[in-house]
Amino acid sequence: MINYFAMERQIQQLRESAATMISAASDLKELDNVRVKIFGKKGELTGLLRGISQLSAEERPKIGKIVNEARAQIEQLIADKNAELKAQDLQNKLASEKIDVTLPGRKIHCGHLHPLTLTLNRVKEIFIQMGYTVEEGPEVETDYFNFEALNLPKDHPARDTQDSFYITNEILLRTQTSPVQARTMQKNPPNTPIRMIAPGRVYRRDDYDASHAPMFTQVEGLVIDKGITFADLKGTLDFFCKQFFGESAQIRLRPSFFPFTEPSTEIDVSCPICHGKGDCKVCHGSGWLEILGAGEVHPDVLKMSGYDSNVVSGFAFGVGVERLAMLKYGIDDLRMFFENDIRFLNQF
Amino acid sequence: MQVSTKWLKDFIDIDCTADELAEKFTMAGIAVENIVHAGAGLEKVVTGKVAEIVKHADSDHMFVCQMDVGAGELIQIVTGAQNVKAGDIVPVAMVGANLPCGKKIVKSKLRGVVSNGMLCSADELKIEGDSSGIYILPADTLVGVPAAEVLGLDDDILEFELTANRGDCFSVFGLIREAAVLLKKPAHFPEIKVNEDAGKNAADMIKIKIDAPDLCSRFSARVLTDVKLGPSPEWLQKRLEGAGIRAINNVVDVTNFVMVELGQPMHAYDYDEIVGKVLNARRSVAGEQLHTLDDSNRLAKGDELVIADAEKAAGLAGVMGGFETEITEKTKTVVLEAAAFNAASIRRTSRAVGLHSEASGRFERGVNEKATVIALDRAAQLLQEMGACKVCKGIVDIYPNPKPAVKVQFTTKQINDRLGTNYSDKEIVDVLTALGFKISGNVATVPDWRNDVTLMEDLSEEIARIYGYDKIPATLPKGSQQGRQSKTQNFTDKIKNILAALGMNEEISFAFTSVETFDKLQIPADSELRRAVPIMNPYENPLLRTNLIGSILENAARNLSRKNEDVRLFEIAPVFFPKSLPITEQPREVLKLAGLIMGRREPKGWSQNSAEVDFYDAKGIVEELFAQLSILNYTVEAGAHYALHPGKTAIFKKGREILATVGEVHPAVAEAFGIGKKIYIFEADIATLIKCTAKKFVFESLPKYPAITRDLAILVNREVVAGEVEKVIAKAAGEFFKGVTLFDVYTGDRISADKKSLAFTIKFQSGERTLKDEEADAAFKDILLSVEKTFAAELRA
Ligand SMILES: [Zn+2]
Repeated sequence: MINYFAMERQIQQLRESAATMISAASDLKELDNVRVKIFGKKGELTGLLRGISQLSAEERPKIGKIVNEARAQIEQLIADKNAELKAQDLQNKLASEKIDVTLPGRKIHCGHLHPLTLTLNRVKEIFIQMGYTVEEGPEVETDYFNFEALNLPKDHPARDTQDSFYITNEILLRTQTSPVQARTMQKNPPNTPIRMIAPGRVYRRDDYDASHAPMFTQVEGLVIDKGITFADLKGTLDFFCKQFFGESAQIRLRPSFFPFTEPSTEIDVSCPICHGKGDCKVCHGSGWLEILGAGEVHPDVLKMSGYDSNVVSGFAFGVGVERLAMLKYGIDDLRMFFENDIRFLNQF
Repeated sequence: MQVSTKWLKDFIDIDCTADELAEKFTMAGIAVENIVHAGAGLEKVVTGKVAEIVKHADSDHMFVCQMDVGAGELIQIVTGAQNVKAGDIVPVAMVGANLPCGKKIVKSKLRGVVSNGMLCSADELKIEGDSSGIYILPADTLVGVPAAEVLGLDDDILEFELTANRGDCFSVFGLIREAAVLLKKPAHFPEIKVNEDAGKNAADMIKIKIDAPDLCSRFSARVLTDVKLGPSPEWLQKRLEGAGIRAINNVVDVTNFVMVELGQPMHAYDYDEIVGKVLNARRSVAGEQLHTLDDSNRLAKGDELVIADAEKAAGLAGVMGGFETEITEKTKTVVLEAAAFNAASIRRTSRAVGLHSEASGRFERGVNEKATVIALDRAAQLLQEMGACKVCKGIVDIYPNPKPAVKVQFTTKQINDRLGTNYSDKEIVDVLTALGFKISGNVATVPDWRNDVTLMEDLSEEIARIYGYDKIPATLPKGSQQGRQSKTQNFTDKIKNILAALGMNEEISFAFTSVETFDKLQIPADSELRRAVPIMNPYENPLLRTNLIGSILENAARNLSRKNEDVRLFEIAPVFFPKSLPITEQPREVLKLAGLIMGRREPKGWSQNSAEVDFYDAKGIVEELFAQLSILNYTVEAGAHYALHPGKTAIFKKGREILATVGEVHPAVAEAFGIGKKIYIFEADIATLIKCTAKKFVFESLPKYPAITRDLAILVNREVVAGEVEKVIAKAAGEFFKGVTLFDVYTGDRISADKKSLAFTIKFQSGERTLKDEEADAAFKDILLSVEKTFAAELRA
């Protein structure tokens, strides 16, 4: 015969044993077993409930309340334990998934533009911003455009410094991109304003060594309009150098001689490696590096291409792209550009 | 041109260092390339007299000297030298000296005795002399003066790199004129006067003729008698040495000296060897023998200027003298020549002979033809002062067309407008006057030594360079223009960017090639690719390239030889085709693209696929490039190419235009380039690509209704090409066909050997509604019927 108190005690014992079992469950399966053991068809609580019918009418609701409380409490314990075990499971899973993050990432074949192209692109960008057009001309030129139209008649001593590859006595591989100047002027009606650069390959019959190559890249520039001065040349190239080398770059103009300009100048830029602080292999401690030749366009050059030096004036300049790239990237051997070693190309 | 500063100091007071002077010259356009400091390292070395010398108490080989170095007090120096005795005058390196031999002198103790310097040997000063002991100076040497001065090493040599226009600065006088303006100091030129004491008239002794007045504008000569040949005085030898010219004998040395001093090259003839007593500046006769002073016989080409006597050419004018009339020990009477020869003619001859001398360099830049007689007077004066000759009366001077003075019109405004400056009338006149120009109103008369100034623009440079280019303001041109590139330039830039994004590296290679390269590429004998433009004076390869394949294979081979195995390269550059051979006009220049891949598909890595690229990787790059360039609706077919594998060559076409050729390099070609691996290349013509690019790109909206796909797997004979099957599928697929993708190709054990299996996914879609399955099924049925009929295809289960 089950009496009220015995039943109450049994419920209390069940509560305690359930709490112990739930707390001891080490995984979700075990916890489920505990749940079945208590709440299943043959479960302990289920068994207890069967005895309720033997209690008196007054005792039944009381015991029913105690049972419901116990059930709610145990269910809560199971739910809490369930959440705890799940979190732990996830943690274990993540722990088991740990990888060696120091292994290198999967590599991709990336392509690269040639450093000369990158350098030339930057030069073009700066001048296009300033309103220059990009002009082109043939690489195989006539003696007329390469020399004579630039005030370099046959037997001019300045031709000595530009040993040419000749195709015939009158046709040669251009030694400079300056012929594009004359071609552009002659294409225009006389005295049309011009702001142009002419980038391109040029050829000189030099020995192939760390600082000479039979083919290299040059950018020629030409500005013609009313009232273009030598000061405009200086300001323009100062701006260019600051854009290309950085705001701290300074330029220095030295008088020079080119048959196609008057006055003529060579332009040095402050050494981007040592900033003029000496003991530098690149500038030999002078703090300056020669990068440009320039000048006010010679009146004869204008005249030969149909322009009138009494009406317009202009300036012209030429800069070596290899030289700019070598300074920008610290490359000390010109041949690197033409060997096309992919370990070199991959760096740009 | 090089000259010692001491020579310059003869004529002008230079109160700055050689470095400062060089900087001033350079910044005025007279570039100094290098400065040689003869006395470098001797700055703290003075002459000292041994006042007292005793043996070192603790050493059996050292001495303790008390030295008088003119300082009032004696200084103590310990020396190990055994050749010094009391009263000797020796070079003393003081504390702080940094000797040419590398020794740095510090105060020290030698076995307990203080030493305040060092007595120097010849070797330690890097001078000539007996180095077994201390360098003993002559007994009359002043004490306490810089050793460099006593040793004649207090000089600096300036090495000029003169521009082609400044012939006048190829002389000491020219440099002095510039220095006077730059330093604002007066120049003191020597007085040139001759005592004509030989009692004979030069004109009675020698006749001068100019038969080639276009090549010789003036020919002046003096005759010297009673010539005593011998060495030049030491001061003159020193001057020549500073100028880099070896002393020979007094007559030759004086002609060289005057050449450096005045810039006028001279030549001395042995009068007794001149046949007919006539000197004629004439053109050579082709084939004429020229016996030059280097004792070689040269054959004249017929256009050189020679100086001839009645019988033969006695030398190449301005380049090299003749053998017979050279000055020798027997010479008694000398004819001195000072002439003005045509610059271009001298340049041609000196290049042809391969001889660039001090004289030819000056003639090439043009000499001052007004000054020939001054040079003769100066040379005669110097030889006379040495007691080496007597001078005949008069100069024989042929100058048929005296050059008028050059006058240049200018205004202050013109000069300022050109320079962007604001110089006053006075500032401009001051500079020009200082430089020797005579100014009268708006006309500047150019001094006769400046053959480079003929225009107002030239005057503007004089103003700018003397005031300094650093004084020119920096402004930007007024006005504006729209900056832009051409369509082709933009297109080329775009291709480069796309290919770089596709993993290709850009290469740049020389435009030269050779027949050997054509052979290696297996270019057929009759191909236009062999008709290349030849270079008359090649560096190595004698032809201009007609294709980029040779260059790109050379670059691949170079990479491979350096163990760079995964190579992906491309180049865009012109190739050259002659319009006719031999060349009579400029060749056609055609812009081409070439690309190459070899090695692994993925970079080498711990978790990367190590499979190598194949034909389809190359083809995929071209397809992706074309897609990005909006080159659409092209066809691809098997084709042939000289350098490619006959079974692995594809031609991309649009109509008749060939867009690109892709293929595996023929193994024989690869081997010829030294490549033992499989390489895949492509090439294209840029102009054709531009032409075939879709005119405008229109965005296609995303589908509103879902697509239905059906997979088709069929067995066909192995020869059937997938491209043809796709065409048939597209044609039979009906109005809702949206595309076909080949997703599997199989040959192998599971099917018969002469068959292959192709599997396609076919996509159907409508822009207006959701398609019904039955519609797709019906279309699929039509497709199946069509491929069965066309290719005898069997549906695979
Ligand atoms: Zn530097």
